[in-house]
Amino acid sequence: MSLEQITSKEELYEYLDVAMQLEHATIPPYLLALYTIHPGTNPDAAHIIRTVVVEEMLHLTLAANILNAVGGKPDLTTPHFVPTYPTFLPDGETDFEVDLQAFSPAAIETFLKIERPRQAPDEESRIVRRPGNKSFISRRLGDESLHFYSIGEFYEEIARGIKFLCERDGEQSLFTGDPALQVTPEYYYSGGGELHVVTGYESAKAATDLISGQGEGLGGDIYDKEHELAHYYRFDQLRLAQYYQPGDTPGNPSGPPLNVIWEASYPVQKNPRIAEYRDPDIHRAALAFNQSYADFLHTLTRAYNGQPQLLLDAVPQMFRLRDKMNQLIRVPLPDKPGTNAAPTFEVNELSREI
Amino acid sequence: MRDLFLSFSAEVTAFTTFELQGTGMADAYLAAAIGVVGDGPVQQLLAVWQGIRQEGADVEGRLRREIFGDELLGPIARNIVKMWYIGNWYQLPYAWSQTFGAHENDTTFAVSPAAYIEGLLWPAIGAHPPGAKAPGYDSWSGPPTIPEVPE
Repeated sequence: MSLEQITSKEELYEYLDVAMQLEHATIPPYLLALYTIHPGTNPDAAHIIRTVVVEEMLHLTLAANILNAVGGKPDLTTPHFVPTYPTFLPDGETDFEVDLQAFSPAAIETFLKIERPRQAPDEESRIVRRPGNKSFISRRLGDESLHFYSIGEFYEEIARGIKFLCERDGEQSLFTGDPALQVTPEYYYSGGGELHVVTGYESAKAATDLISGQGEGLGGDIYDKEHELAHYYRFDQLRLAQYYQPGDTPGNPSGPPLNVIWEASYPVQKNPRIAEYRDPDIHRAALAFNQSYADFLHTLTRAYNGQPQLLLDAVPQMFRLRDKMNQLIRVPLPDKPGTNAAPTFEVNELSREI
Repeated sequence: MRDLFLSFSAEVTAFTTFELQGTGMADAYLAAAIGVVGDGPVQQLLAVWQGIRQEGADVEGRLRREIFGDELLGPIARNIVKMWYIGNWYQLPYAWSQTFGAHENDTTFAVSPAAYIEGLLWPAIGAHPPGAKAPGYDSWSGPPTIPEVPE
């Protein structure tokens, strides 16, 4: 089986489009877990989840910069950009699904699977054979049982594809994008790492390395290039109730204890659906949230297509989304005692309703 | 009791029960009122409200006469409104304590740190609580977003 999957610019566009979908798909579950934590409780857990989700937002923007650099067109408004939860991740991992659910041990177990280290023992294992549902990558490979082992392997293929196209066609014919479309650090601050402007092979490599390194560590180390703990190990601390510190090996943190109170979270509906909200106020608020979220994705799309200054407008939009999420999360469902409402992120449903 | 407390609170704050529950403070405020004046007066207030609501006629007038104008219930009702808007329980008037007895927990206090953040006064004026619920850099260059007053 050939491992070189990306042999044309069009295929690279497709991979980078999926990369953006992938980065985005992690954000609603992370945010829901973060905001279901009772205010004033679990400060360590809240901090860990927050740092990770902020870096996922950076990865989304980095993927957009790479796509723009090679002449593609980032679009967060296409149908199915936002998955319907529960969902398989778009990079093709099919041994687990991602739920929208409250902060809980189950949520953290899922987050660990999302961020799992590359781990493939050899070249041939980068793409693994698993019976599973149709996914982007299994269709691309022409065999529905083939899937990437991890997000790390998926990005490895993107990095390899960029290198291959550079070597075959020359750097200049690959990086034909308008540099004015790049999102630059002046429009992206406090973003959990360096925002790389991508103009050529080296900067594209730096961007994919940053994404992979923040997720899973590099070369088996639990820390990334910036000496920050990789996402997988940040979440691992919640499972093991202890902090990692430099020098530690995977699974053996030796830092201070980390106290998690799992019960201190709002018991929100898992994988909620607007159609299930019969209370008119809850229905209306959930719909308004989805509309605001759709508007926000539209703002991001414009920002990634030549109006980077709109990212500044997106900041208050994000804070309003946070407030709307918090409001929904605290409201009990009248017909489901012990269960609270939650945002549904059904953006595609929305476009059909309106 | 919680439902009655919420429907009474919605009537006297002009926010919906959804918005009130969205603050996450309903249980804490109900517990604070009971914690100060005891179960009895709160039950009595809500029973009167239940009667007014069920009959549904002259709701505002009856609220004024039978709850806000009542010597026992009026100050408690006003304190419930203040809790929702400001997040504090205010010490009851001297005259109330003279008549119905001083209660050990009846001091002016913040119900919780979250109560300050979730005070209804902030959405009512289209602002955010200073030091909390950051609205984002430069958001002040746009007009305030004031929620619609429900009918």
